[in-house]
Amino acid sequence: MELRPRQIVAFGGGGFSMEWGNTLLDDFVVGLTAAERPKVCFLPTASGDADHYVVRFYRAFSSDCCEPSHISLFRRETGVGDPRAHLLAQDVIYVGGGSLVSLLGTWRAHGIDEILREAWEAGVILCGGSAGALCWFDSALSGFHEGPERQIEGLGLLPSSCAVHYTEEKGRREGFLEAIADGMPAGYGVGDSAALHFVGTELAEVVASRPKASASFVSRTRDGVVVERELGVRYLGVSALEELDDATPIAA
Amino acid sequence: MTSANPETRASHEPRRILAMGGGGFTMPEQDHSDALDRLVLELTGKEVPRVCFLPTASGDPREHVTRFHERFGQWPCEPSILSLFHLGRDRIDPIEHILAQDALYVGGGSMRNMLAIWREHGIDDAMRTAWERGIVLAGLSAGAMCWFEGGVSMSGGQPEVVHGIGLLPGSLTVHRDGEPERFPVYQEAVATGRLPVGFAADDCSAVVYHGTRLAECVASRPGARVMRIQPNGNGGVVEIEQKVRQLPHATGARVALERAAEDSWAVSEMRALRAGRHRWD
Repeated sequence: MELRPRQIVAFGGGGFSMEWGNTLLDDFVVGLTAAERPKVCFLPTASGDADHYVVRFYRAFSSDCCEPSHISLFRRETGVGDPRAHLLAQDVIYVGGGSLVSLLGTWRAHGIDEILREAWEAGVILCGGSAGALCWFDSALSGFHEGPERQIEGLGLLPSSCAVHYTEEKGRREGFLEAIADGMPAGYGVGDSAALHFVGTELAEVVASRPKASASFVSRTRDGVVVERELGVRYLGVSALEELDDATPIAA
Repeated sequence: MTSANPETRASHEPRRILAMGGGGFTMPEQDHSDALDRLVLELTGKEVPRVCFLPTASGDPREHVTRFHERFGQWPCEPSILSLFHLGRDRIDPIEHILAQDALYVGGGSMRNMLAIWREHGIDDAMRTAWERGIVLAGLSAGAMCWFEGGVSMSGGQPEVVHGIGLLPGSLTVHRDGEPERFPVYQEAVATGRLPVGFAADDCSAVVYHGTRLAECVASRPGARVMRIQPNGNGGVVEIEQKVRQLPHATGARVALERAAEDSWAVSEMRALRAGRHRWD
């Protein structure tokens, strides 16, 4: 079998849980697999395995186009018996949002952190939004779900830092700039509807499900000055200009 | 709330733990009485106790939160929820909130997940402090075994030994009658010394500790048993049935009324709204 590259797609916000009806980011991830009917496994751990979240996943990833499954770490006595074998057999592992702190604690208690690294190295595509994006990085700036914003050590598959909902949620960008100034590793501020696509540990491109979505790279110079550089973003839909050129209307 | 039973109050020892083998408001199918929940409040010795529910072990599901408010909303108390998945939304400092209570009620679910999440938030240390300050610690299943040195949990899918935070000496296994697959694993663990001597509690039964001493065993359903399990010296165990005090069903009529009212759409809608501040995204 051909060696598959390591890939991670980290959404600043978006996908089926945040942009119902806009499937561009989810379609992009599924499109990265070579499989005709890709196996996609959902990990809703960060939400405490909230039932309604799991239901929405199965509605978005229907069995018409893929082989969906999920693993509940709060109800191990039901469902998948051997998480490692199951996760390693996937094409995509999709991590849901919620509390990053609770997510990481629960994963470590079940050894899922090690299994995810193994899956990544074996070429299973890892993706997710919010907590499901932050978890892949060396360090992350949490917020909303964790009380006061704080720096959290992630799985460290990607040797940089990350902040999500970057321009949409008050205080996220300011907090990130401050944390980088205080010595957090350089990293990405990702807005809603934008997604970072990493091949290996290198950023391949930034894609987006809305034309105005944005992402930035923030670093600190030797003399302690924080530099924020906006990244180029490729909109995955049909742009307004293209639409004008096109004689036949595209179905929404 | 005042306690009718002198056994449940003692003078100088402030530390109280109520560990249920199952039952209470999260298990209405097994427990048709509200007596165990009421005992949580009675153990505080307060007129209007502050009682906080932690549904961490089951991932803070909405229906547990709603049922908690349904049950405790009918009594003179100040009920609240601590969701460790929603600290930002609720704007609660978890440690501060825990230490401001008269009773903490810990739900069942995955003991392994609960303890891992507690550690991340420093809740395990806060629980010890709360206990030492005389805040009643109560709970069922994972929320009961966690206070001991260990128990048998289904956290990994199959029954297995899981260590608790060890405020109480010994061990506990739960749902002895309702989930019988745990019990042989527990017997084996006690026989071989993997777990210390302890108790096996049925659904609707509970052990009450004053300090680190067992004060009594109680039950909200006739026939619910608590067994003491200890090694017999020959690689097996001895089981000694404990004396169990039946708790009175004083508010049974009221519970029946509540059940009838549940059919009403307006009532359930109102309840959903009341619990709605803990909704998911």
